[in-house]
Amino acid sequence: MTLAAEGSPAQERSAASRRARFIRPALGLIVPVTLALAWEVIVRLGWASGRLAPPPSVIFQTFADLARTGELQRDTLVTLGRVAAGFALGAATGTVVGAVTGYSALLRRLLDPSLQGLRAIPSIAWIPLFILWLGIFEASKVTLIAVGVFFPVYLGVMGAIQSVDRKLVEVGRAFRLSDFEMVRRILLPAVLPAYVISLRSGLGLGWMFVVAAELMGASEGLGYLLIDGQQLGKPAEIIAAIVAFAIVGKATDWLIALAAAPFLRWEDVVRHE
Amino acid sequence: MLVLDHIGKTYPNGVHALGGVSLEVELGEIVAVIGGSGCGKSTLLRAIAGLDPASEGTVILDGERIAAPHEKIGIIFQEPRLLPWLKVADNVGFGLNHRPKSERAERVAVALRRVGLADKASVWPRELSGGQAQRVAIARALVPRPEVLLLDEPFSALDAFTRTDLQDHLLDLWADAKPTLIVVTHDVDEAIVLADRIMVMCPRPGRIFDEIGVDLPRPRDRQSAAFDFVKRRVLAALDRSLNRAPAGVEDEQTAEAGAAMWW
Repeated sequence: MTLAAEGSPAQERSAASRRARFIRPALGLIVPVTLALAWEVIVRLGWASGRLAPPPSVIFQTFADLARTGELQRDTLVTLGRVAAGFALGAATGTVVGAVTGYSALLRRLLDPSLQGLRAIPSIAWIPLFILWLGIFEASKVTLIAVGVFFPVYLGVMGAIQSVDRKLVEVGRAFRLSDFEMVRRILLPAVLPAYVISLRSGLGLGWMFVVAAELMGASEGLGYLLIDGQQLGKPAEIIAAIVAFAIVGKATDWLIALAAAPFLRWEDVVRHE
Repeated sequence: MLVLDHIGKTYPNGVHALGGVSLEVELGEIVAVIGGSGCGKSTLLRAIAGLDPASEGTVILDGERIAAPHEKIGIIFQEPRLLPWLKVADNVGFGLNHRPKSERAERVAVALRRVGLADKASVWPRELSGGQAQRVAIARALVPRPEVLLLDEPFSALDAFTRTDLQDHLLDLWADAKPTLIVVTHDVDEAIVLADRIMVMCPRPGRIFDEIGVDLPRPRDRQSAAFDFVKRRVLAALDRSLNRAPAGVEDEQTAEAGAAMWW
C-alpha cells in the first residue's frame, strides 16, 4: 500500500533522473564543441590558414578517408591487439604477484624491494634493451606494455589484500570457512573495488606505452599513423590518430567499468549524481 | 554444558591477559561477564569462541574440547560486521551455505521476521541503521542454531534507547530456542537485565573476582527496588575488584552517576 501511495512522486523522480542522465553528459560537450566550431569558423573565414591545426571538417574528412581505405580499422585493430596482449600479460602477472606478496609477509619482504626498485625506472628506458632481447617486432612491444600494466595492478592488488578488514576475516573464521572459501567469500569480494581501479589505471598505462612502443618503430598501428603523419606533414592524420586513441582508450576503460559494475553495487560510496 | 577449566592466556608479547578462569555454564543459562577495562573479558570470550585459543586450560562443550571455531558456538561482536557485498538476507544466511537453497531461504526468512526486518531482506547493509545492522548480526548468529551464543559488548556502540530495546529483543529471541548466552559487557544495567549470573572480573591478570546471582523474575523492571539492590551489589563488587576504597555514601552517588557506562 505504501508503494502505491509513493508511486507518483517516485515516477516523477525517475523521469527526472532519466532526463538528467542525458543532460548531464551533454553539459561536458559544450566547451569542446564550441571551441571546435569556433576554429572551423575562423579557418573558413580565412582568419587562419589551418594548415598545421586543421579545422574539424578536415580532420573528419581525413578520418573518413582513412576508414574508407580500411587503414584506420587495420591500425586500430593492430594497436588494440598489442594492448590486449600486453594488458592480459601484465594484469595476470600483476594480480598473481600482488596476491602472493599481499598474503605472505615473507614473500613481500623478499620481492617487494626489488619490484619497487624496478618500478622507479621510467619504463620507456627499457625499450632499447627489449629491442635487443626480443627483436623489433611484436614481442618487445607487448612486453613493454605488459611492464607498464604490471606495476599499477601489482601495487593495487597487494595494497588491497593487505588492507582487507581483519574483522571481516574473523567473521569468516567464526563461521569456519576453509582457506578456499575464505578467499572466495571474503577476500575476493573485499579487494574487488580496489582491483578494478588498479586494472583501469593499468589499462591507462597500457595505452600510454603502446604509443611509445609504436613510435619507436612500427609499420602499422595507430602509433605508426602518428609518425606517418609527422613525416609526411599531415597534421590531420596525426589528430585523427589521436582521436582514435581517445575513443578506443575510453571505450576499453568503459568496458572494464561496465563489466565490474554489477559486482560493485554494494559499495558505500559518495555518489554525486 | 559449557565448562571452562582454568583458562589462561598469555600473549606472545608476554602480556598475561587471563589467569585461570574456571566456570561451568548450564545449557540455556545467561551469564554476564563484567569488569573494568583490561580485565580479560574479551580475551575470555575469544578463547571460548576458539578465535584466540587459550594458552592454558581447556574449554569443553558437551565433553568436546574447543580449540577452534565450532558449529555449536556462535559469536556476536561489538560491531555488526556484516559483509557489505551481500544483501541482508545473504548475510543472515552466511553460515548456512552448505544447506540446500530452499532450507536456507526458509530459515533466513524466519530469522529476519523474528528480528523484525523482513522488509529489509534485499537491501544492502549500508542502508541499515546501527540498531538494524546489529539485529541482522544477531539473526546471522542465531540462524545456524548455536548451542552457545557469545556476545562481546554487543550493544555498547548503540544509543541508550536502541540499547534497551535490543536487550529486550535479545531475551525474546533467546526464549525461542534457549541457547546458552555469555554476554561480555561494561554496562551494569545490561548485565542485570539479561543475566542469571553476573561474573565480576578483575585485572592483572584477568580472573573472576566475584559471582552475583540475579534472582529476579523476567521481564525485569529496570526501575524496581530489587533491580537497584542488585545493581548496588554489582557496583560494590566492581569497586572492590578495581581495588578502590569501599564505596561510602558519597562515593555511591558518584558511582551511580557513572554506572550506566562502566569502563
